[in-house]
Amino acid sequence: MKRKRRDAPPGDFQDPLSNYDPPIYADDMEKSLCEDSILDLKTTPFRTVSPDMKVCDAIKLMVEIDVACLLVTEGDKLLGIFSERDVLNKVTQDFDIASQKPIGQVMTQDPMAVYETDTPADALNIMATAGFRHIPVLDVDDKVVGILGPRRITAYLQHYFE
Amino acid sequence: MGLRQDIILQPISELSIREAITLGPEATVRECADQMRRHKLGCVVVVDSEGKPVGKFTERLLMKFLVDHSHSLDEPVKGFMYQESNSMKESDTIARLLARMRTKMLRFVPVVDDAGKVIGLTGQKGLIEYIAEHFPRQVKTRELKSKLFMDQREGA
Repeated sequence: MKRKRRDAPPGDFQDPLSNYDPPIYADDMEKSLCEDSILDLKTTPFRTVSPDMKVCDAIKLMVEIDVACLLVTEGDKLLGIFSERDVLNKVTQDFDIASQKPIGQVMTQDPMAVYETDTPADALNIMATAGFRHIPVLDVDDKVVGILGPRRITAYLQHYFE
Repeated sequence: MGLRQDIILQPISELSIREAITLGPEATVRECADQMRRHKLGCVVVVDSEGKPVGKFTERLLMKFLVDHSHSLDEPVKGFMYQESNSMKESDTIARLLARMRTKMLRFVPVVDDAGKVIGLTGQKGLIEYIAEHFPRQVKTRELKSKLFMDQREGA
């Protein structure tokens, strides 16, 4: 049965957004950082590898393609990040043995991530407070769609000064 | 003033400047790696006898060093470091630092005094912390493993 739509009595309606004060930004740069999506920054390319890859092969790959970290995945699931800092902390001291291990044993597990709907300011704050240089970008299904690092952020900021 | 103006006008001394690891050119690559690990810092500034920077050794160079098996970790760093330190003064503006980092693809920038001696280190981390301080409302409260979206809808 189709219901008849009743009009609200005049004068009863209260706009829930009537008290909303939109944020005030001092300049375009602040507005972009707080309102753009992460995807407005360059988040690709990124490289995923299996947790079974040997540490020595991973280091070689990172040098070859000139990246500071690799995303370790199984299927679509993000397991961890293998970064230059993992090499410094866990591999260098005992290189001959550690370099033969699978990166699944050496990587940083369960890294903090951002969603593609988050803002650049969100990502910057995670980097600043948690101390991670590289942050994976996930979609609604938790699938990796990119990675954000300081070099991409400085490139994004630089265009406000050109 | 907005963030853009702050970056244009404010000096590098407004950024968080970390204590630099400084070693002489005869220090070994192993010593550099040990110091970097101990101080949780990805860069050693190589200095001369007067404390002036003559080069840099970074995590990236360590990676390249490890891939090239022909050298020992006990060789002096002077043969493997970046020969240019790209240092800047505390009074230089943050905008200038940003431009330098972008054009020369730098992660670390040694900060020197008027006499050219190293007094600290800044770079990507200092810049990111500076910008993040402008947006305290954005600090994430989401737990590490919590999900942004639910797998199933709640309720009836």
